[in-house]
Amino acid sequence: MNAVWTIAGKEVRDAMRGKWLLLYAIAFAVLALGLSYLGERNLGSVGFENFSRTTASLINLCILLVPLIALSLGAGSIAGEQERGTLSYMLAQPLAPWELLIGKYAGLVLSIGAATIAGFGFAGVFVAFYASAMDVSTYLLLLGLMLALVAVMTGIGMVASVICTSRAQALSAAVLFWFAAVLVFDLLLIGLVSNADLGGRGLLTGLLLNPIEIVRVLAIMHLEPDLQVLGPFGSYVMEEFGRGQATAVLLVALGLWVVVPVSLAAWVFSDRRI
Amino acid sequence: MSHPPILSVNGLVKHYGRTEVLNGVSFDLEPGSIVALVGTNGAGKTTAFKCILGLTDFRGEIDVAGRSVVKHGKEVRGLIGYLPQAPGFGDDDTCFEALRFLADLRRAPHDRIGTLLDRVSLGPQRDKRIRELSGGMRQRLSLAAALLSDPPLLLLDEPTGNLDFQSRRELHDLLGEMRDEGKTVVLSTHFVEHIADLADRVILLKDGKVGLDMATSELTAAAGRRVTVSLNGTAPSELLAALGAIGIGEQRISAAASDLQEAISRAMAASTADEEARG
Repeated sequence: MNAVWTIAGKEVRDAMRGKWLLLYAIAFAVLALGLSYLGERNLGSVGFENFSRTTASLINLCILLVPLIALSLGAGSIAGEQERGTLSYMLAQPLAPWELLIGKYAGLVLSIGAATIAGFGFAGVFVAFYASAMDVSTYLLLLGLMLALVAVMTGIGMVASVICTSRAQALSAAVLFWFAAVLVFDLLLIGLVSNADLGGRGLLTGLLLNPIEIVRVLAIMHLEPDLQVLGPFGSYVMEEFGRGQATAVLLVALGLWVVVPVSLAAWVFSDRRI
Repeated sequence: MSHPPILSVNGLVKHYGRTEVLNGVSFDLEPGSIVALVGTNGAGKTTAFKCILGLTDFRGEIDVAGRSVVKHGKEVRGLIGYLPQAPGFGDDDTCFEALRFLADLRRAPHDRIGTLLDRVSLGPQRDKRIRELSGGMRQRLSLAAALLSDPPLLLLDEPTGNLDFQSRRELHDLLGEMRDEGKTVVLSTHFVEHIADLADRVILLKDGKVGLDMATSELTAAAGRRVTVSLNGTAPSELLAALGAIGIGEQRISAAASDLQEAISRAMAASTADEEARG
């Protein structure tokens, strides 16, 4: 494990040296503050909203932005090393290929996670200072879910990174996956739900097949368990399992979405020949 | 061979698709020697190194210090210091940071970093970013990285490619010291003259096979004595005039290869003639 942490440390140092981490954190902070500040305009006054409203506004933004960032950086990791010609040098060191992959994964998750926490944290402190009502636990829950989404999407990005032969190809595959998960998947299932009786199992499968949907349902379930906002999948798990069990089922599924892609990437990469 | 081989390559076969790069390459290397792996571009020198490091799949057997690279890849790579043709450092790291990262990976003590930087004459560049280094400096930094864990086997892929005359002399001295310390150095090159006075043994790769495997002393003896004058730059007009005065006109002056290059060519020609005669 020594090699894994050495590589993870290098990945974090490289990320901190690069500008993207800072820009990403600033973008998050600005968006969180902006959403909160402008939210009350619709209600006739301008000012910072409380945490629950901010969180609600952020959910949709986060499930668009966080996966895109994590997928792109994951996809660029191994493929980028190969394109720069540094991959064979790294693999010539006394480490197993899976150690390199897991090290890079851990470093990326820590870097993107730190930027997410920094951006959200800054906005959170700011809103907490100005807002009249505070719902810190909800805000922290969203932060936790975003970190889980970072872990999932970075892993999926790394699958693209080890399978594709160039960085451009890996990034294209990552963006395609993001587009499918964020937009196409929803549209497809809405079409299916309205035209065919998916049944309970179908709805559950539909939900568990999309990690972004899992995070969205988990967030809404704990923020505002409104059956209409939850959608057909969320409504089904709520009614079938109740809030506690549904949370457990979704968290297990989210855990699998972390473990399976990373294991797949490590397995494929272990057979990689330069 | 008195010592067990530090590197044993037996029946190495490597194909890229339908292209045959190595076809039955075999050799053993004893500790404490410098071996030149010679061949034209595309002869399979780098591929052979990748096989020895376990970076690519192959047929045949490769053992380093008695350990199979296929079964113990990670352990074997710990016994090898590798200098690639294109050094694989991050441009934003300083020399010290790059070596510290590799030292951590190789579990080498950090206090070796300063010593090694001095040894490759990069002490003053310790805190310089890698993007600011010249090609030769990067090559020397890469050599320092290869020496971090004090490995018994060094694989140097075209180590003299980016080096000027002075740096090449320094590299020769350094590699000589490595040999005296009992290390085995395998260096690949297509500039045979660069390693003529350094290598103990020359292995020539040709058409995917070992075309020649001979001690350097045997080769130079076969070539006979000859004095080679190297001119750095254009020959001064005074020299041409002096040569003309003793009856050597410009038309009789030509670039001469070193003894070793010529010896290899002769040995190869003899080997081909033998094969043809047998065939």
